[in-house]
Amino acid sequence: MNIRKMLLASVAIACAAVPASALADTSGKKIALSNNYAGNSWRQAMLTSWEKITGEAVKTGVVAAADAFTTAENQATEQAAQIQNMILQGYDAIVINAASPTALNGAVKEACDAGITVVSFDGIVTEPCAWRIAVDFKEMGRSEVEYLAKRLPQGGNVLEIRGLAGVFVDDAISGGIHEGVAKYPQFKIAGSVHGDWAQDVAQRAVAGILPSLPEIAAVVTQGGDGYGAAQAFAAAKRPTPIIIMGNRQDELAWWKEQKDANGYETMSVSIAPGVSTLAFWVAQQILDGKEVKKDLVVPFLRIDQDNLEANLEKTPKGGVANVEYTLEDAQAVINSAK
Amino acid sequence: MNALRSLVLKPWIWSFVATVIVWLITIMFTGGASAAGLSQAAFTFAAFSVIVGIGQMFVITLGPGNIDLSVPAMITLSGTVTLKLMGVDNALILPGLAIAIGLGVAVGIGNYAFIKLLRIPPIIATLSMSFIVQSMAIWTNRGIRIKPPALLADFTTSTLWGVPNVALVAFVLSVIAWVLLQKTVYGRWISAIGQSIPAARMAGIPVDGVRFATYVLCAVLASICGYMLASFSGGAALNMGSEYLLMSIAVVVIGGTAVAGGDSNVPGIWGASLFLFLVVSMLNTYGLGAGIRLVMTGVIIIAVIMVASGRKRGRA
Repeated sequence: MNIRKMLLASVAIACAAVPASALADTSGKKIALSNNYAGNSWRQAMLTSWEKITGEAVKTGVVAAADAFTTAENQATEQAAQIQNMILQGYDAIVINAASPTALNGAVKEACDAGITVVSFDGIVTEPCAWRIAVDFKEMGRSEVEYLAKRLPQGGNVLEIRGLAGVFVDDAISGGIHEGVAKYPQFKIAGSVHGDWAQDVAQRAVAGILPSLPEIAAVVTQGGDGYGAAQAFAAAKRPTPIIIMGNRQDELAWWKEQKDANGYETMSVSIAPGVSTLAFWVAQQILDGKEVKKDLVVPFLRIDQDNLEANLEKTPKGGVANVEYTLEDAQAVINSAK
Repeated sequence: MNALRSLVLKPWIWSFVATVIVWLITIMFTGGASAAGLSQAAFTFAAFSVIVGIGQMFVITLGPGNIDLSVPAMITLSGTVTLKLMGVDNALILPGLAIAIGLGVAVGIGNYAFIKLLRIPPIIATLSMSFIVQSMAIWTNRGIRIKPPALLADFTTSTLWGVPNVALVAFVLSVIAWVLLQKTVYGRWISAIGQSIPAARMAGIPVDGVRFATYVLCAVLASICGYMLASFSGGAALNMGSEYLLMSIAVVVIGGTAVAGGDSNVPGIWGASLFLFLVVSMLNTYGLGAGIRLVMTGVIIIAVIMVASGRKRGRA
């Protein structure tokens, strides 16, 4: 039902935008997803969302195929070979979550030269012929400090939990956080550890540095590490600071527990794994003949005190808070980029 | 004096010396105030490395080429499967542990079947096994996180007389491993095989049986580690084991076990595990950047190994 409505809407929009004859039919087109990693819950949710949305799209005949492929070793060379295979297999569009922003450029260029539409998201590629759906990670980091400035006008010591060292996402979010701290000098980053976006790694790193830290007023994070930080503070029997949360269900559930018990307040910023579905619709729109800007920005998912319950309810137990995008969402993102 | 000299000659002493130095430097940062908290955290997290490290040590002792790369996948699979089966039910804690051990036995058998029946070198056999095991972990649960039973979570996160329970478990396992290695025929057999397989065969040692049992033992220990780690950190994650690949090998090497096989020691695993945790804490405490932190970790590890092995060469 929903899909039919969506289809009707897309047809309506297409008809309104261009003369009906110019509408390219995508029902014969094949789209592939090239994914570099599947070993955490975020990536699993990303693949599940892809399956769900594209499965319906294939069933209703929007596209002919939308196959997902994941490389085993999270290696750029392996993914480049995978993309070359996709070129040979005759896909019309390739949607990429890339292992490296630059190392795949050769393979991406080959794909473009073969007339294939390449859309990268999350892990984007810098090759100019490809489209990029990026998250403003810097803004994400800045918004955390802005939130803290509102909550703690007097400032205080902040513990920063970073992601995986050497990944540009980590540098971008951390850069945003440091910009925020420069703007609100009442905050001081008392310590910084790498949590690798994993709960248990974050827990170990925080437990190691915590004994040597002064009183901590807040913890800024990159997602996936908030619950581990909370556990480390509890284990060290220290008062729980304001911990910015990510989108894992255990983080939200812990927040809800604390909220009910003692009115604990915080917020959560993250990237919805369903961004893969946005990339799918963007690729479909490009195949459909739409003019699309090369650089698109996807909004990050923010959860606040008042919409916590609603979001927690929608999140599968043990999973990741998610948003799956529709064709209309994709069109809105495309239009706002113009 | 004599006692001191014999202590200095022990291959494991250097990892403890390094641990104490790093510990002192770290607590100096706060003028000693962090001593208790830091020690407790170190013992908690070292416990997990100790458990997998012991298993890896047994395998490495078997001689050149013997290594188990399926450890991280085993940890992940055991964490995911047992937590899913226990499903927060306190009554299922022991069956969960039994299943963890059963999984370990199964993967260990698989590992050795690859090595022996298909004649694949251990490094390739266990690596392929790890792909299979990791895929099974993904397939079981798709990364969904299930909380451990409350009783088990309490047990793994609390302390007895200030000592973390997980460290006590690791200690008991270490004592068993030490007795196995030093006091039983099995332990002697492992060392003999590690020194020379042909000689061991001539001496009538059941080489295949011993190697088989050792790979199973390593997988079982990794599995128990996964069970405890998942309970400790409030649920299993698909990438929870990834850190323990290098860690399990590093603690064996830094601990003074001969990489070429035939000579192992259990105390060194403890020294090395505490050391590796404390090095990261020290560099974090002094606020060094990630790049410098990684380089320093590498340099410090190489330095410790050089000092330890230099001593050994001097003795020989």
